[in-house]
Amino acid sequence: MSEGSMLHGQQKQAGIPALLAKARFGVVVRPPYYRWNGERFESERLVGVDSSSIASLSGSIEVVVEGDFVGVVADSLALATDAAKQLKVEWQAVHQAPESDSDQAPCESPLVKPSPSYTHSNHGYGWPSRMRWGHHPSWVIADCRDQQLSVWGQTVTPAALKQDLSRLTALDISQIELYSADGEHSSNQASGLGRHCGDDAAVDAALMSQAVGGLVAVWLDARYAKDAQALGQAQRITLNADIASSGEIARYHYQQANLTGEVAAVGLLLSGRATITTSSAEATAGEQDTTPFSPYVFRAQYLAARSQPASLSTNSTLMGIQQTFARESFLDEVARESDQDPVALRLRHLDDARGIELIESVAKRAEWQRASNPSANSLPQDLLRGRGFAYSQLPDRNQRVESGVRSAWIADVEVNRVTGDVQLTRLVVGQDVGADVDTDRLQQTLQARVLGEARPLLGQAPSFDEWGDGSRTLTEREDSAGLPTTAPSSSPVEEGANKTVGEDVLTGAELSPGVAVIANALFDATGLRFRQPPFTANRVRQALEASSIEKAGRPSKLKPPRSMNRRWLAAAAFTTIAGTAAVAWPWKGAIAPVSRPAANLYSAETIERGRLVAAAGDCAACHTTEGGVTNAGGRGFETPFGTLYSTNITPDEATGIGQWSYAAFERAMRHGISRDGSHLYPAFPYTAFAKTSDADLQALYAYLMAQPPVETEKNVNALTFPFSVRSLMAGWNTLYHDPKPFEPDPMQSELYNRGAYLAEGLGHCSACHSPRNAMGAEKNGESYLAGAFVDGWEAPPLNTLSRAPIPWSETSLYDYLRHGESELHGVASGPMAPVVAGLAELPEYDVRAIAHYVAAQMQAPTGNSDAAVADATQRVTSAAVGSTEMEAGERLFEGACAACHADSGVPTFSRASTNLALNTNLHSDHPDNVIQSILGGVHAEHVPGIGSMPGFADSFNNTQVADLTTYLRARFAPDKAPWQQVKQRSAELRQPHHNNSHSSP
Amino acid sequence: MTLKLTINGQERELAVPPQTPLLNVLRNDLALNGPKYGCGLGECGACSVLINGMAARTCVLPVSAAVGHEVTTLDGLSQGGELDPVQQAFIDAQAAQCGYCLNGMIITVRALLNHNTQPSAQQIRTALEHNLCRCGTHVEILQAAERAVILNAAVLQEAPHE
Repeated sequence: MSEGSMLHGQQKQAGIPALLAKARFGVVVRPPYYRWNGERFESERLVGVDSSSIASLSGSIEVVVEGDFVGVVADSLALATDAAKQLKVEWQAVHQAPESDSDQAPCESPLVKPSPSYTHSNHGYGWPSRMRWGHHPSWVIADCRDQQLSVWGQTVTPAALKQDLSRLTALDISQIELYSADGEHSSNQASGLGRHCGDDAAVDAALMSQAVGGLVAVWLDARYAKDAQALGQAQRITLNADIASSGEIARYHYQQANLTGEVAAVGLLLSGRATITTSSAEATAGEQDTTPFSPYVFRAQYLAARSQPASLSTNSTLMGIQQTFARESFLDEVARESDQDPVALRLRHLDDARGIELIESVAKRAEWQRASNPSANSLPQDLLRGRGFAYSQLPDRNQRVESGVRSAWIADVEVNRVTGDVQLTRLVVGQDVGADVDTDRLQQTLQARVLGEARPLLGQAPSFDEWGDGSRTLTEREDSAGLPTTAPSSSPVEEGANKTVGEDVLTGAELSPGVAVIANALFDATGLRFRQPPFTANRVRQALEASSIEKAGRPSKLKPPRSMNRRWLAAAAFTTIAGTAAVAWPWKGAIAPVSRPAANLYSAETIERGRLVAAAGDCAACHTTEGGVTNAGGRGFETPFGTLYSTNITPDEATGIGQWSYAAFERAMRHGISRDGSHLYPAFPYTAFAKTSDADLQALYAYLMAQPPVETEKNVNALTFPFSVRSLMAGWNTLYHDPKPFEPDPMQSELYNRGAYLAEGLGHCSACHSPRNAMGAEKNGESYLAGAFVDGWEAPPLNTLSRAPIPWSETSLYDYLRHGESELHGVASGPMAPVVAGLAELPEYDVRAIAHYVAAQMQAPTGNSDAAVADATQRVTSAAVGSTEMEAGERLFEGACAACHADSGVPTFSRASTNLALNTNLHSDHPDNVIQSILGGVHAEHVPGIGSMPGFADSFNNTQVADLTTYLRARFAPDKAPWQQVKQRSAELRQPHHNNSHSSP
Repeated sequence: MTLKLTINGQERELAVPPQTPLLNVLRNDLALNGPKYGCGLGECGACSVLINGMAARTCVLPVSAAVGHEVTTLDGLSQGGELDPVQQAFIDAQAAQCGYCLNGMIITVRALLNHNTQPSAQQIRTALEHNLCRCGTHVEILQAAERAVILNAAVLQEAPHE
């Protein structure tokens, strides 16, 4: 350890929480178009920024412009976000190069003409510029003052980040310090498989900090996935070979696009300080090509790597990983195409006794036997199993390859063809020199980094149906397979060798063949070749689906995973119903019952994801009776058409959904048709659930099937004719149901799309908050989320018709949904209380997304403006004294309510925290929720910290309820017209099925 | 499910439904009979206790709401054998007829003094406005509260550490 780092190690800095108090907040405004095209960065040019467009916002706001970089710095994140949204920025479009498939794996290179006597193989491999947007949502803070730059945040590539920051600020590397969120010095060692957007956020923060001369905090979350997408591919490696009929590789050609694939941070590229050399003639000249190392020997070989433009930084570790991935994937492909054993092919071209010995030892240890594809028949039908091999040779400490480390890997994977989940079940690694390899940790690391944690690794294809924010326990998986992992060492282990320490640091030597070995095992399992990491469940599932559609009709190793689904769609038979009715509806057949899937069929991750899906969909709220067993059904619902009972959705074979195949489950969720072919009523919000993504439905199925089965008695619905005829629902569906899955709006942010997906689909907000027509179908268009009445409660409008006295903001919506309470609006109660309790299961990002989406429907601002807060204070002050004109109401209020709802100058723990003058219900057009609260009280069970109010149904008669309600309206909503017929409404709401009072134990 | 409560400085673990009113738990499970059951609707104040030094009406408060907070009942108000100055003041002023409301009166005055050591006579009246007494002992109660201000100030003087 050098002297310098010793010093830094002791000098612990303040962590992010302490810094936030001193920081200002920055939000960037990216150009509408910017991307890394593989060689250089292109973006729209900044023409001008109209600062007057944000003059209406109160508070101190600074606009930072540097080249094409635009950022806004303000005293709160909400204000900065609002300003960034409002700021008018004019961009000049540049000539856009035709969209290449940079997100896809690179296509085959047409470079070499095939020669007739040889079979020819030619493939390209890619590496993303950003593996993902980050580990978890977090703050990134920069302090750039007095020739010194400190950055707090998350990075896995500190050297590259320092290089970017140095170029950005013109400071020397030694003047730049990186700290982790808790103020510890960041390690200088790169870990993992390349950069993530933590670096982009850090550069954004540093640039803005330098401009405003103080601490600037930037919020890093999935919104940065946009940068990951724009930066596309950092590396392309094209390989081709001629293979003789003997199976020998006669000619081998390796072409690497860049010396190393590491793209600078977006902020640096936009600022123009990156000094990009364009790919002009001088830069592309052949003499600058270097020759990468290959451990194999071929009769004729050509290896070249083009030197990188200046906007790429150098990371030899990452380069090694990329090269090994491409080479080892390619050799595996050649072996498959020429029908050879992949290990034998390598041995054939290896002229290195130590390497050969190592590979043979590892192959023996792992019982490498190509022919025996492990007992495919005994596998559960949805599981595919495969095995892959990869080898690498890396230079030693003095950069000598010959005496370097040889490393041979064999990995076994299991792929769930329904969900795309890949489990690395076994890993055998042999390394002939150096410290013992900790295969357990390697396995975990690879599982997380290459195959996907819940969220971060989906970074390459950010998606609206990702779950978890990465900070949860999703990655802490027990290795269910329980297979041994071994690490043979054919040479004596160097004593006292530097073991890699630190939980997040893995050296390139260890990771380098790891990506290839998984790609090769995946191919063995699925027959699909993945030519660019990461191999997340999402990508694997999409590829499996695409291939099953392609292969439909001809026999394949792969059974189409969703064949059942297509079969019933195609087999629509016609019949007539309801006597003389002349209209014919497609008849839905039953889907054959299956025995309950084994509980261990799905991975812990999938089941955990399913648990979150169930929480977002709040299944248990309807499918559980009060005090009953979760999801066992039986809860009654009063509708204008009669009483409906929820069903048992535990996997009991007789009374639950134990015999439902996934196809049957999916049909119910998307089309409202039960397994036996009968129609379900839209009290079950399949109209909303239809929008759920396949992956989420599959996870939900996995979760429900993994729960304990509960046997129940079936309740018989009591519907009035003709609504009791289930098949009539077919007509209703034709008229009102659109089973299309959710489509994200490309014009909107990822956060918005995530919120829309949750709110429109699983969250089924509109089921309560949109009015329904006479046929019980939700109205759309202007009536979407326009408010409605459910079970005697008003579900207030969630669009611009909101009557809240202080307009809702995104911040207030988030507080309400996350904590059950917004101090400017009140607490969640009535049927909304269990919804908030259910949302407590969801990660913060998801709740923010819902708040963001609803705020957009309301056209609400991000934060609460000073004006809104002042208005609130003014309303509270003017309602502090009651009117004396309504004596009866006043007396009731003073006697029953004031102890908790008025300020007597005594600090009170049990007081209502939101002043009634701000209560949305008192400002509504309808008195229903106020009457409900008086009669039944306010109970937000399972939402901690929310007080509870007793019901007064037994102490007040309808006249008293009306007097009190009228008084409350006059005192606390003086700007609204008095409600009419309050007494009558009180009497109606006392009817048993509307009454929300329930006896406390 | 068990709940962990801190009551009168003691950790208590209780297996009770989380929605049970705190009053029921205090009286029935812990035999702390200082707080009284009055109206059951949070109107009269007889059930008051201190939570984190603030007044709280326990007949309407689910026991789960008290988890993680310091609950002090009338029973736990005296310190080391010494009555709390507010208790002493109510004895000195003989401010009881039937005495049922006195728990709430004492707790409310205690909460007021925790927040404001020198309340005016009007502030005392406002503070006690929502504590009901049905015997008509209001004059004595107000005298007791005013004496409590003086006794409390004396105690603070002795131990000026807040």
